[in-house]
Amino acid sequence: MPQSRNLLRVLTRRSEGPLLLCLLAVIGFFALASDTFLSVRNITNVLGQASLAMMAGIGVAIVFISGEVDVSCGSLLAAVAIPLIVVMNATNSLALGIAAALALGGVVGVVNGFLAAYLRINSLIVTLGTLFVLRGGVYLYTGQTAIPDDAGLESFFQLGNGRLAGVLPYPAVAALVLLLVFAYVMGHRPFGRHVFAAGGNPDVARLAGYDVPRIKFAGFVVSALLATCAGIMLASRLGSAVHVAGLGFEFQVVAAVVLGGVSLSGGVGSLFGMALGVLILSFLANGLGMLDLATEWQLVVTGAIIIAAVSFDEFKRRQKL
Amino acid sequence: MASSSQIQPQPGAGRIAAAMAGQPQAVLIVLLLLLCGAISLAAAQFYSLANIIAILRQSALVLIVAAGMTTLLIGGEVDLSVGASLAFTGCVAMDATNRSGSVPVGALAALAFAGAVGLFNGLVVTRLRVNSLIATIATMMILQGGVYLYTREAVQNQHHLAAFTGIGAGYLGAFPIPVLLAAAVFAAVYIALRHTLFGRYTYALGANPIAARLSGLRVRRLKLAGFVITGLLVGVTGLILCSLMNAGQPTAGRGFELTVIAAVILGGTSLAGGRGSLIGTLLGVLVLKVIDNGIIILRWNQDFQMVVPGVVIVAATWLDTVRVRRRAV
Amino acid sequence: MNVRLAILLATTAALAPLTVLPARADEVPKHIGYVVNYATHEWYQNVIKGMKDHAKLLGIDVAVKDANLDVAKEVAGAEDFMSQKVDVLIITPVNEEGVVPLLRRAKAEGVPVVLEGNPVKGMTTMVAICDYDTGYFAGIEAGKYAQAHLGGVAKVMNVGLPLLSATVLRSYGFMDGIHTIIPGATLVHDLDGGGNPDRSLEVSSAALAQNGDIDIIYGINDSSSLGGLQAWKAAGKSQDNLLVVGTGGEGLAFINAMEKEPSYRIEAAMFPEKEGYTTIDAALALYNHKPVAEHIVSPTTPLVGDDWKKYYEVNGTTRSIKWDAVNALTPPAKCMKTAADLKKS
Repeated sequence: MPQSRNLLRVLTRRSEGPLLLCLLAVIGFFALASDTFLSVRNITNVLGQASLAMMAGIGVAIVFISGEVDVSCGSLLAAVAIPLIVVMNATNSLALGIAAALALGGVVGVVNGFLAAYLRINSLIVTLGTLFVLRGGVYLYTGQTAIPDDAGLESFFQLGNGRLAGVLPYPAVAALVLLLVFAYVMGHRPFGRHVFAAGGNPDVARLAGYDVPRIKFAGFVVSALLATCAGIMLASRLGSAVHVAGLGFEFQVVAAVVLGGVSLSGGVGSLFGMALGVLILSFLANGLGMLDLATEWQLVVTGAIIIAAVSFDEFKRRQKL
Repeated sequence: MASSSQIQPQPGAGRIAAAMAGQPQAVLIVLLLLLCGAISLAAAQFYSLANIIAILRQSALVLIVAAGMTTLLIGGEVDLSVGASLAFTGCVAMDATNRSGSVPVGALAALAFAGAVGLFNGLVVTRLRVNSLIATIATMMILQGGVYLYTREAVQNQHHLAAFTGIGAGYLGAFPIPVLLAAAVFAAVYIALRHTLFGRYTYALGANPIAARLSGLRVRRLKLAGFVITGLLVGVTGLILCSLMNAGQPTAGRGFELTVIAAVILGGTSLAGGRGSLIGTLLGVLVLKVIDNGIIILRWNQDFQMVVPGVVIVAATWLDTVRVRRRAV
Repeated sequence: MNVRLAILLATTAALAPLTVLPARADEVPKHIGYVVNYATHEWYQNVIKGMKDHAKLLGIDVAVKDANLDVAKEVAGAEDFMSQKVDVLIITPVNEEGVVPLLRRAKAEGVPVVLEGNPVKGMTTMVAICDYDTGYFAGIEAGKYAQAHLGGVAKVMNVGLPLLSATVLRSYGFMDGIHTIIPGATLVHDLDGGGNPDRSLEVSSAALAQNGDIDIIYGINDSSSLGGLQAWKAAGKSQDNLLVVGTGGEGLAFINAMEKEPSYRIEAAMFPEKEGYTTIDAALALYNHKPVAEHIVSPTTPLVGDDWKKYYEVNGTTRSIKWDAVNALTPPAKCMKTAADLKKS
């Protein structure tokens, strides 16, 4: 008994507490309302579907915590699939394709980071610019058609569509591993401390001898590389480089990250909170679909729940103070 | 960034920026002139009356909402629901005019609806304390869904009132009515921001919310006003767009919020609040719309309509950053 | 009721040449899942309507999940249907390449798939109109109209959508069709109107300012043609020597325009209700392991002037389809051109 009370206190005390309650409420509701929702198959499906926003969300959350913004992930998702598929078609090698995708992602991260952290151009503008330029670039390069995967490698198909031990989709496995690694880095390594310091109070961080631009720069590169990972998984699920992939993805990710309690003004947030935000939205989308609710109702309900969840979170936080 | 490097004269863009360091918006004015000049040289149709009117009419649609957005951003908030609200407002306007057979009733319905959306956004942000970015993304979703609950397809014009068509396509003297409406909105918001207490307080609020609160400003009410003003202006634009398309289109306004925000930040308004000007916003709108128009006039591949504004926004903001820093030295 | 029964019989008769054993009663699937690319679009609202009407009559439950133009959501929707164990899956691809892995996964799970709209590598069957033919025959009618009323001059502004192969085919078909009547017809503007009314209005305004010397506006859907027409009106031009040709006939908008706008004379109607109806028949056939054609063509036809009244009835703000007339249309066995031809060129 005392142990469970302890757990409850931990849950409501920690900043993720209200969010975890929200997630459990969403899952509980749909488990009662739909007879097909609560199955291993469906839950693992949702974890797989959530993994794209989760991977990109880790990076976006880190950039937010460092006091900057990154909204370029939607177009990046479509852009990195092109070198991936083109190189794979030419070389028949998944590894080379992934390397090419990561190279493009890395370059975009470096450009974002250089413009925002070193030239000190507002990062929303920089990444909004990259969002437009990349999408336009994808359309120009592909002539607005998708590039099919002609190599047909089994490993590439399995990457996004296969399941570990036949249960958990590989994208979900990758997202969980990345989440744990980066949560550890943000909580227990100097890099994490530096990111929080740079976002929380850049002047103090500078005076304390931190290289603030370099920290922020690193955040952008990490963010672009993580979005690249999401783009690779999506390309495998689509079996091609689709020019319209990821349209509006940046909205989903930013909504999930902010829902997860990551502050836009920097210095505040946790990756587990972000993950809960992603899961809440993903289970919501899946459950509402299971109830056969028309799109218009799904949009209305999701919007209302976002407002409710964030205000509940704010309320809890204020109570604590 | 050592300060010594900023004192040294810099080559290229830096020097041009330095020469104009005294004028705010100098970068944008030069950019606009260069664009107009270059496009005119390449295609004479650019400066034909028909095209100028087409550009001004398109700019008017964006400018009216951008005026509200500028006020909001100066006060440190943002509204992403304007595109979805625009579509919904058009449907409400057409429906109300069909039912009542009266243009004023339709116009009032549009303003009331869009104003109510602004009020809702404002209350969620000020009372429930939800960050405005996320709150208005949520409102955007609610409106996108709601409009299809309201009407399954485009609301057709069944009233055939000439006055309704006139709102979008009509002229007063030599001037298109949307352009006159935009000019009136521009003047009103300009005066409100520059010459009233409301404006001064909004700047103060955005620059330092804590100090503003401590000095007794009614922060919540100011912010609420910003959202309601933006809402009402969406109502005006929704009415114009609905008249221009001769139907209430639930699919309209996709991505409109990004165009508006891009124009405002291109105009030099800070996302962090406390800094910005309506003249800058006007120039931002014109630059973006001239690019959009120019690409068609030059018969370029329309995919460049995404690439070029992206590059221009980043470059102009960079030049502006350089200019501000040089002036600060 | 009688009409519906007649339709049912008519469809069975139409499918008869394909079936070997028509004597045994068909097994009826319980649940069909439909992943649609864009449910709120009028065209798909009417596809769904045609599907549900037909399915209800047969006692089939049709559930719909909307990808809302998001390829990732499309995969998720199909995944969810498979875990809900639907008997047949119907998919309208957001992008035709993007559902290739899905077909493979459905095959592994033993779920038959009917595609609507666009062909996909490895598919069993698809129900679709012929986009090129639709544009082509509308182009012929436009050519005849231009001969009779526009002095044989055809200068076209195409309010297109390069994003989708289907809409590109319509534009190509239209120009090829018009050339059969007026060899000197020219394509003055080839625009990307995004398929949206407001974007179409904006790009058309700029194009007309660049060169207003056109006399035919072609739109790849009704929003595009109407956006083009509104730009023409906003520029203060008279509709006297103008012809507007729309495509789709997805809602009330085109009927309204044909009644009220003097220049809006031709509509390439695509009968979404019929398309939905036919996908259910295809699903039924697949479920019963009957042989089906790879491409089941759904009929389209150009409507000139008052022709629309043959196929639709309007009561206030709803329209209803006249099934007898639509079912009497014979679709071509094969399309003149498809997306595959587009890639070759």
